[in-house]
Amino acid sequence: MNPSDILTPPHWPSRFLRWYCHPDYLEDIEGDLIERFETDLAIKGPKVARWNYTKDVFRLFRPGIIRPLSGNNQLNHYGMFKNYIKVGVRNILRQKAFSVINIAGLAIGIACCLLILLYVNDELSYDRYNKNFDRIYRILHTYRSAENPGSLPPPSPEDFQVWGSAPVGPALQADFPEIESYFRFTSPSQLLFQYGSKRFQEDNMVFADSTAFQIFSWNLISGNPKTALKEPNSIVLTLSTAMKYFGYDDPMGKTITIDQTETFVVTGVMGDVPSNTHFTFDGLISMTTFHNWRPEIFDSWGYVDFYTYFLLKENSRIESLEGKIPDFIEHNGPDWYKTDNTIAFEPLSSAYLHSKASRQPGTTGSYTNIYIFSFIAGFILLIACINFMNLSTARSMERAKEIGVRKAIGAQRHSLIVQFLLESIMLTMLAALLALILVAFVLPFTRELSGKALYFSDLLSWPFIALFTGSVIFVGLIAGSYPAWVLARFKSSQVLKGRLKSSSGGISLRKALVVFQFALSMSLIVGTAVVFSQLKHLHTLDMGFTKDQMLVIDFGWDSKVQEQIASIKTELGKHPKVSMVSTSRAVPGAFLPDAGTRIESASGEMTMHNPGIYEIDQDFIPTYEIELIAGRAFSDDFPSDTTQALLINEAAAKLYGYTNAEDVIGKKFTQWGREGTVVGVVKDFNYKSLHSKVEPLSIRYAPTGALRRFSLKVAPEGMVTTLADLEQLWSQLVPHRPFIYSFLDDSFNRQYDADIRFGQIFTVFSSLAILIACLGLFGLTTYTTALKTKEIGIRKVLGASLFSIVTLLSKDYIKLFLIAVLIGIPVSWFAMNSWLDNFAYKMEIGPGVFIVAASICLLIALSTISWQSVHSALRNPVDSLKDE
Amino acid sequence: MSKHHLGEFEEIVMLTVAILADEAYGVAIIDEMESRLNRKVSIGALQTVLRRLEKKGYLSSQFGEATNMRGGKRKRYFSLTTYGKNVLTEVKEQRLSLWEAIPNFSLNK
Repeated sequence: MNPSDILTPPHWPSRFLRWYCHPDYLEDIEGDLIERFETDLAIKGPKVARWNYTKDVFRLFRPGIIRPLSGNNQLNHYGMFKNYIKVGVRNILRQKAFSVINIAGLAIGIACCLLILLYVNDELSYDRYNKNFDRIYRILHTYRSAENPGSLPPPSPEDFQVWGSAPVGPALQADFPEIESYFRFTSPSQLLFQYGSKRFQEDNMVFADSTAFQIFSWNLISGNPKTALKEPNSIVLTLSTAMKYFGYDDPMGKTITIDQTETFVVTGVMGDVPSNTHFTFDGLISMTTFHNWRPEIFDSWGYVDFYTYFLLKENSRIESLEGKIPDFIEHNGPDWYKTDNTIAFEPLSSAYLHSKASRQPGTTGSYTNIYIFSFIAGFILLIACINFMNLSTARSMERAKEIGVRKAIGAQRHSLIVQFLLESIMLTMLAALLALILVAFVLPFTRELSGKALYFSDLLSWPFIALFTGSVIFVGLIAGSYPAWVLARFKSSQVLKGRLKSSSGGISLRKALVVFQFALSMSLIVGTAVVFSQLKHLHTLDMGFTKDQMLVIDFGWDSKVQEQIASIKTELGKHPKVSMVSTSRAVPGAFLPDAGTRIESASGEMTMHNPGIYEIDQDFIPTYEIELIAGRAFSDDFPSDTTQALLINEAAAKLYGYTNAEDVIGKKFTQWGREGTVVGVVKDFNYKSLHSKVEPLSIRYAPTGALRRFSLKVAPEGMVTTLADLEQLWSQLVPHRPFIYSFLDDSFNRQYDADIRFGQIFTVFSSLAILIACLGLFGLTTYTTALKTKEIGIRKVLGASLFSIVTLLSKDYIKLFLIAVLIGIPVSWFAMNSWLDNFAYKMEIGPGVFIVAASICLLIALSTISWQSVHSALRNPVDSLKDE
Repeated sequence: MSKHHLGEFEEIVMLTVAILADEAYGVAIIDEMESRLNRKVSIGALQTVLRRLEKKGYLSSQFGEATNMRGGKRKRYFSLTTYGKNVLTEVKEQRLSLWEAIPNFSLNK
């Protein structure tokens, strides 16, 4: 340190003081400090003096001394910004109607975007809670039949299915050291659970390997994650299932009786499977149990009932495994390989949204819907932004004087642009605040609409807040950009002289924006109409079978029911309101398996395919009124039908190479260990959903043990008493099993829940978009009508009729509207046709839809416009003319 | 009266400013208070109170001449305003009236 430096106050504290101190106080305070320092220097020495000085500087750092945040003699624009904000607030308050239109529109737009964001966020969050998310893969299988291996083209993603056989998992782990562990679970079993007096049928219990908790990050509340699923007859329940049976008692170690014969010990309780998991279950039963029940299937490469997931070791690459698949197949399942079956791997990240494979273990999401909804939300926001642009430019004359004065006293163009951008950002901020409140209120009601629980708290994360603030500023900039540019262009000399009378600025753009808004609204109306007509179309389509008044009783393969199935069936049929009864494994809309089936081709060779399989009794076809187009249905008159006959549908006949259904009658078949002849061909009936065409189906007489459901054709009158009677009867016939029934049309239509939901969401968003567009139109007409007040007054004085004035005020908009319709028709036609491609049975989009949509649109637009124009046309001309 | 509330420290500062008459600037006030009341006062504490009293209108201030001392910085001299004097007087009278209201015996005990 320089010796002379010691005699002056320390440098850094002084700089600090000068930085924070109020500029008015700085001189004398610093003087006082220096005086103190000089005194201290003389009496106590430099060290103490410097220390005291520093101490004093820091003790001066307190409110009252610190400069105010908006300093006034600094080289910055705080003062100007303050003025901009003040003027902005005054403008918002002065033009209340316009501010409300702008803010409400933007708020609704932002709220829609927020809701969609929450929805999309949830869709994208699937399975990500797993710690090993990036390392979990699942095995996809394809089952195809080829005469020679390798003769078929490589399978497409749609050819694969998630459902596969048991030995693949263990074999993969044995062959590939990269695989840390594998986890299999079965498709859900329907089991009758009993604990004490509580008895329920459980429909969503799966058998699962003990590695469950090692691979997936499910929360095991009690029990040992390593051993809970090791022993046979052990079961891990989810919390809500455990509560159902045990209430608040500790379920651990308690025994549950399943299907009245087996006892299971509860070895664990886990939290419910998170809602953002691509499959779900109510409980896990140890795989060893299943192994004890049916040991043979665990070595069978052909028996399909397992979903297999595996955990890749860290630093291993899935690509290296994929290259070795052909070798693996050949080496492990030679027979299997010959039929050209193979496997593929799919990462967990693709399971929910990207998987094209069939036989998913749970519902899958739709990327298309995410796109559609995001687009609509974006459009709504865009419409709101356009409102803002239109209203601001239309009303720019009101700001012209202000701009003129600002320019005259030296405002530059860029500072005016900054001013107007700031105003629009302010408005957007207000709208954003309102939007948050709106979302908080509306969110509880969206559960119904979106089918999932969304929580406001999901919005309270830092990345989201940053994104939100950023987007709000961005929206403000977008909405404010054009008005700011137009306003800042005014020439002060002209404005102040009063030469600029009407706002010619941006009229053509304004028109274009209105056209755009209405084209969009029109397309959304068309979209809504198409979605609903398509759903109605599906309802009225001939399904090829009767689904009305069909009562289905599910007894879940109960062996006791199956033993006395004939007598139960007779008893049920005795009820006066029941006209027909049949038993079967599957019913339309319910799950059915595929069966490898060989049927003799026209040239006499046995051809192998995998059609679906229905196992039924002789009453099924008459009960469902399924039409036969060739041959005959099963009948009591032919005892051999029970083991040696097969029915197929038209699609299956074609699959096996018979264009004429008659030709396949009498051909030989082998299927699942049964041999015989094809006795009949049924007309295609829609046993799955109408999203897909009718697929090939084989129908055979059900062997004992394969039945699961009764189908009862019930008279519609007095349904309530019929149901009560049947339940009574059921409890006498089958006292141990609850009476579980559904109406076929209900359960069948449930397949369209997702479509209906889509339609509802679409409607809500379209209505909002149209509402905002109308708000904008209303604001715009209010303004243009106000400009023409005098003109209207003079016209009225000269004898113009109400009608001619309304026409005068509306005809500009009607022209714009017609252009919008012309643009909207092709756009919506194209968009909706691509949506309809999801359905195998789609409606034709006729001109009717467009006419209806255009009329609705025109009606809404006209009533919006006429609200203002009629109002001003009715006014007494004296009021508008006297003030000059 | 309650609206002219004076804190204890505020009152002392105002009294000291009154004592120093024309010589009441930052360091002088501190020195005076330290010598008369045997009380340590930091510049920070004093300056905050001075500015607050000035804002309330009890004190007024003006700069003195620049000298070679103090790094050439001017002193700011504080003085009581009429309003300040009134407030101070009122405070004094209130205290006195309280003192007078005390019965004799209670202090002699």
